[in-house]
Amino acid sequence: MENIMNKDIRAVIDQCPEVGRILEEYGIGCAPCSVGSCLVSDVVGIHGLDPQTEATVMYKMEKALYPDRDVPEPKVDLSKIKPKEINYSPAVKNLVDEHVLIKRMLALIPTIADFVENSVTVDKDLILSCVDFIRGYADKFHHMKEEDILFKYVDEQSEIIKIMYEDHDTGRNHVRNVVEGAENGNKAQIKEHLHGYRDLLTQHIKKEDEILYPWIERQMSDSQIGEMFQRCSAADASVGEELPRRYEKFIIDLEGKFAKEN
Amino acid sequence: MSDCCPGSKTMDFNDDDAQGEDETGARQSQLKQWPIQLHLVSPQAPYFQEKDILLAADCVPFALADFHKDHLKGKSLAIGCPKLDSDQEVYVDKIASLIDDSKINTLTVMIMQVPCCMGLSQVAKSGADKASRKIPLKQVVIGVEGGQVLSEEWL
Repeated sequence: MENIMNKDIRAVIDQCPEVGRILEEYGIGCAPCSVGSCLVSDVVGIHGLDPQTEATVMYKMEKALYPDRDVPEPKVDLSKIKPKEINYSPAVKNLVDEHVLIKRMLALIPTIADFVENSVTVDKDLILSCVDFIRGYADKFHHMKEEDILFKYVDEQSEIIKIMYEDHDTGRNHVRNVVEGAENGNKAQIKEHLHGYRDLLTQHIKKEDEILYPWIERQMSDSQIGEMFQRCSAADASVGEELPRRYEKFIIDLEGKFAKEN
Repeated sequence: MSDCCPGSKTMDFNDDDAQGEDETGARQSQLKQWPIQLHLVSPQAPYFQEKDILLAADCVPFALADFHKDHLKGKSLAIGCPKLDSDQEVYVDKIASLIDDSKINTLTVMIMQVPCCMGLSQVAKSGADKASRKIPLKQVVIGVEGGQVLSEEWL
């Protein structure tokens, strides 16, 4: 089994599609992933499965890959099982809370896209104000704390962090296209890239909340948790309390506007 | 003793078959300071400055075999008993001072799985609320029987 631990998951699934099905059974969605360059050892380790489940997943994968091999049933010393996973530390909890406001923006995107399509002319101010939220709050205020602080506590060359950076860049590209569409009055371009941004960020936030953040925190000492908290607090203080309040008001107003129109 | 209060209920763990392996050799203490009792420590002591602090209920180190190795290592210590200690408002002030004056990095409260021990977490929270600085505060609960970590959460 050791020899497949350092293989890319995509190569292993290509060799044996049953492995993808087994992972999916345990909520590990590697089979449809377009990148698939995570190592098998990271894929299993990163999801923080309890020891019994992890051993069972490894057992089933080995049985699928080597059906003729005499694979022993997994035995786990239950007395060594660690206590329930700790919850988010305060700094990461703040990042999760910021996702809530971003998800409220994402929830409005289908309505905004329909509004653009059904309008005689593109409401450029509306589109650019949404772009300002995405750039000012989601990207500058939120993603920068991840990129400048949180991700620095783990190996930035690990596949999952590289994928997060790629997601951020892809999101910025969608936003550039939305702006270009607004400048040119190109409704199709605006709609395509608003939806692209929504689909990307929906999955991105889910990955961060459920997998990435807990994985990062499991690797951090209490001392690093305290340091990260102070660094995030300093970053928040540098922009002031007014900025998040202003963007929250923007979302409330936007929700109100489209609630009235519907 | 009455059986009503889980904090003072009589329990005998002596018939447990799992006694663990015999250990040989001396372990190194991870205690790097004195005093440790919360009434005796000064919040401005040098060993608290910008450190990660462990505030443990008196019973915790006796219940947890690897207390030094797994929990005390790298931290400065204060201990107290929320059930028996008097003048606990002093504790609240000292914790606020640790946070504001000594600029401690984190505060971890370790308590036993008995209701009265929650008082120590409450003291820590009150001290943190009183302080103007904010820091991460963690609660770790230890089981009475077997001395296992039952829960560990940021508050």
